[in-house]
Amino acid sequence: MGKRKAWSPTLQACLAIGAMGVVLLPVFLSQTPWPTVARDYLMQYGQDESGARNLVSAIYLGYRAFDTLGETIVLLVAVIGTMGLLSRVESLVNTVGDDDNTIQTVSAFSLRGDKRSSHVLRTHLLEVVTGKIGPIVLLFGFYVMLYGHLSPGGGFQGGVIIASGIVFLALGNQQDNTSALSKSSILGGIESVSFLLFIIVAMSGIFFGKGFFGNPLADSAYPVGFIVLLNSIIGLKVGASIGFMCIAMMGGHD
Amino acid sequence: MTTILLILIVLLAVYTLSSKDLLHGVIALSAISLLSAILFYILQAPDVAITEAAVGAGVSTVIFVWAIRHSQRKDDNHG
Repeated sequence: MGKRKAWSPTLQACLAIGAMGVVLLPVFLSQTPWPTVARDYLMQYGQDESGARNLVSAIYLGYRAFDTLGETIVLLVAVIGTMGLLSRVESLVNTVGDDDNTIQTVSAFSLRGDKRSSHVLRTHLLEVVTGKIGPIVLLFGFYVMLYGHLSPGGGFQGGVIIASGIVFLALGNQQDNTSALSKSSILGGIESVSFLLFIIVAMSGIFFGKGFFGNPLADSAYPVGFIVLLNSIIGLKVGASIGFMCIAMMGGHD
Repeated sequence: MTTILLILIVLLAVYTLSSKDLLHGVIALSAISLLSAILFYILQAPDVAITEAAVGAGVSTVIFVWAIRHSQRKDDNHG
């Protein structure tokens, strides 16, 4: 925005499309066939070895559970970073005070009407709809989480739906009846306990001679129990951490 | 069907980039997520569709609305 004129939007769009073409061109031009070894193996043995009818969750919890561990660690770091930034904003508000109306609006939005500083973006319609629909969304999230080995879904998807339900419940508290699910201490506790459980379950395979993230139930009649357990733990962890983050952003710190 | 969805997604993306009211842009972004969830379902990836609908249309919209609420709604230095 200095004295030099910025590039025209058309030129920028052409540059972006050209760069995308350069990146994608080798994919279209390549003649090598896609590797099929892993695909054929999973199609043939995946269902029997893991016991899960949904092949996607059979792969990401039965064969590639290490990637899932990495994903949960990424989520944990994201929550820690968000909470660090938000706590700094809180201390800024406390030192600046109420006269500066640019930072003053940090509180509110998930609090009750008289505690909120402004009513922007929060209406009676929002309160009624979210309060009614919250428990149903929570139930659906638990369904997606617990049936992840049979139907589409799984721990992460169910966890995000549970987080949406938690946010809905926090938004819909018209009277003083706040649920325990919108308290940040309880959500943080659920998250850390389920992460600890995840590591413990992951190491349990070592004692059965299957290795880290090996399925200790692999030789029993129901090997799918391991996937159900991992799905529930991941669902609780993802739901608690994302709900925690959203509620903290909306200002519900109490 | 997929062609219609893809054209709609591109149109909404252009609208998101060019809209001066950032809240309208966020709503268009959420609609993009919803349309791509339908697209993933048509292409027989229901797991990805659930994730896209929950993360894209739900959680990220909440975070964007929060960010707009604590900054400003109008895009000043546009054009």
